[in-house]
Amino acid sequence: MKRFFAVIASIILFATAPELRAQGVTYDQLLHADSTPQDWLMYGGDYSSQRFSRLTQINRENVRALKPAWIYQPNHLGEAPVESSAVVVGGILYITEPPSTVTALDARLGTKIWSWTPRLPEKLYTIGVHRSNRGVAVLGDTVYVGTLDAHLVALDAVTGQVRWNTHVDDNNHGYALTGAPRVLNGKVIIGISGGDVDIRGYIDAYDAKTGRRLWRSFTIPAPGDPGSETWGKDMNGLGGGGTWGTGSFDPDLNLVYWGTGNPAPDYNGSQRPGDNLYTDCVVALDADTGRMKWYFQFTPHDTHDWDSIQVPVLLDALIDGKPRKLLALANRNGFYYVLDRVTGAFVAGTPFVTETWAKGLDQNGRPIPNPHSEPTREGTLNFPDGHGGTNWNSPSYSPLTKMFYVSSREISAYTVSGKDRVDFPGFGGGGRITLGGDEAYGAIRALDAVTGKRQWEFKTLAPTEVSTLATAGGLVFSGSDEGNFFALDALTGKLLWDFTVGGTESGSNFVTYELRGKQYLVAASGNAFVAFTLP
Amino acid sequence: MPAAPLGPLDPAQGKLLFSQNCVNCHGVDATGEEGPNLHGVPAALGDAAVAGIIRRGIPGTGMPNSYTLSEQDAANIVAWLRSLDSAPLPPAIGDAPKGEALYTSAGCSACHMINGFGGDIGPDLSRIGAGRGAANLKARLIDPGANLPKPAGGFYGNNFTQYLMFRAVEKDGHSTEGIRVGEDSFSIILKDAQGKLHGFRKPDLRSLEKEPGKSFMPSFKDTLSSAQMDDLVAYLVTLKAAP
Repeated sequence: MKRFFAVIASIILFATAPELRAQGVTYDQLLHADSTPQDWLMYGGDYSSQRFSRLTQINRENVRALKPAWIYQPNHLGEAPVESSAVVVGGILYITEPPSTVTALDARLGTKIWSWTPRLPEKLYTIGVHRSNRGVAVLGDTVYVGTLDAHLVALDAVTGQVRWNTHVDDNNHGYALTGAPRVLNGKVIIGISGGDVDIRGYIDAYDAKTGRRLWRSFTIPAPGDPGSETWGKDMNGLGGGGTWGTGSFDPDLNLVYWGTGNPAPDYNGSQRPGDNLYTDCVVALDADTGRMKWYFQFTPHDTHDWDSIQVPVLLDALIDGKPRKLLALANRNGFYYVLDRVTGAFVAGTPFVTETWAKGLDQNGRPIPNPHSEPTREGTLNFPDGHGGTNWNSPSYSPLTKMFYVSSREISAYTVSGKDRVDFPGFGGGGRITLGGDEAYGAIRALDAVTGKRQWEFKTLAPTEVSTLATAGGLVFSGSDEGNFFALDALTGKLLWDFTVGGTESGSNFVTYELRGKQYLVAASGNAFVAFTLP
Repeated sequence: MPAAPLGPLDPAQGKLLFSQNCVNCHGVDATGEEGPNLHGVPAALGDAAVAGIIRRGIPGTGMPNSYTLSEQDAANIVAWLRSLDSAPLPPAIGDAPKGEALYTSAGCSACHMINGFGGDIGPDLSRIGAGRGAANLKARLIDPGANLPKPAGGFYGNNFTQYLMFRAVEKDGHSTEGIRVGEDSFSIILKDAQGKLHGFRKPDLRSLEKEPGKSFMPSFKDTLSSAQMDDLVAYLVTLKAAP
């Protein structure tokens, strides 16, 4: 409680500082991001990716009075909606726009300060990749972003000028950067997109000052390396293991946690007998060396495109009276998992949506597949569909309610098996026919974070790929695919407020911050960003 | 890397892919079902254009994109569609001029519009021949509320059932039955039997129930003979007004 009052005091202190203060986000500030809730310093809010804010000005009692403060609409409409999770530092809000533009706005006024757009090649290979971007990272006075043509770029936070530009990989072979980087002490960590073709996925670390690569941790073993025995005899035309989400970080353990994507070809596993390590895993990497300390595979030998790049949420809890360091992840395959983040040991797992492909999980958390769940040439019907029980959008965790809030998708699909090797620039090795429409629906679900047991749900019309944001005001914010933004009671799931933002909330990652004594909420909606505050 | 040049065309592979991806709307023999008849389409539009439509879809219509199909896959499907042009079509059923007379005498235009004339309660039929096969149209005359169309499209393919009927009951007990014309998680717009629109906020309703199988359109099962329905369908399939 003492700490909480210190937080309040610091909010008041910062609220009196009128100037925009882009410079100098220190690693120490990032380490203690939860104690400066007036900023939103990084993807997921802090290194634990709980997407939880200690701000309480907007709360259960007054949320019904929430009103739009400003709307920002990018000039250039991309092929994909805006999918960016904003970073807010000292009154400046950094967002990305499709395809790879970075924009700095005055967070109180919505007024543009600068935009930077890379010159992208005319022909881009983005197979299985949204032509959008999920956000930036900020360290010191530098903003970091990945581009669709697989460059990692450092921009000056005040002017948007390029400080360095590192070519990460060859887009002509499907590599792209769409995920938000994660910055540590002097390092920029970023994952790669393109895992639906036969790339060899990896997670990279770059020197934040120079852009020089410090380490690369592959998610697909080289032929002959440990793990390659899980791929059959010939790895040509196989691969995947994209890392297109944003991972989390435990500074005490010095471990970076990052999800990995599906094996390729997606829907035909006949030429890749075995578990296909390290696809559909969460991997724990030493932050200094990139060496893998442990991995946990959610979907061995995936044939349903169930990338496991969901945000790993780090939380601590008592289990059987013992304090445990945990990692929680609601997976695209329909199961919610709790792991020991020190060792990677399985702690608990249970379905959080309808799933028909597995009988359950064994004592080690390995799925026990149902017979006849594999794709065939004619198609096999399973819950969930290829976009999964939930997708890349951030869930949230409230340390106050001990609940995990996740956008859940109740939807099935026929999965059809096609080619057995990737024939670049081909895709997938099959396809899927999704049974959407009135046969499907979405829900925001609150799970007991330790057991996964459902506490409540709030249904939406269509399955939605949207974040949740939990606050100390007793609220959970989320959105619908159709374009509604709403607030629920974090304890009960009761609807407290909603607003028609008019563009899909699929792709929206909500953030909140406080300026001059006013708390703001920002939602992405279709091609716009909308900020809300109390009158 | 430029796109790989296409290999030899394989109509048999195209037929398989068609059966996996296209039959729900275009029918097993591509003569149309919920989607249009495709016979003669490659000849009319050109193979490359049809292959492009297969991969990119037609925005704003029920035709979804299929980027999971490669250019080679799309070309193989077109090759199979081409091969149908040389096969004899099943004989035409029904007499279109008789069907047009029936359309008027049966009172269809009270609810349906063709080229700007008629009612606006039911779907506009100006292009119904370009969008539906004969078997599908006849089935609708018999049981209008069954197997309502589910167009692809919308973000992530949220292909909501078209013309689905709902009953909304407000907290004061006032009840409205209508066809859904718009919906989101918090609101719904219904069109009643007189064509009037009613918008509701879901949290304000006592209940909102789907009425699957129901339709404002009467069944013509007992009022028209099978031959008369064939005539009516023969007329409807001629309706292909420019969009």
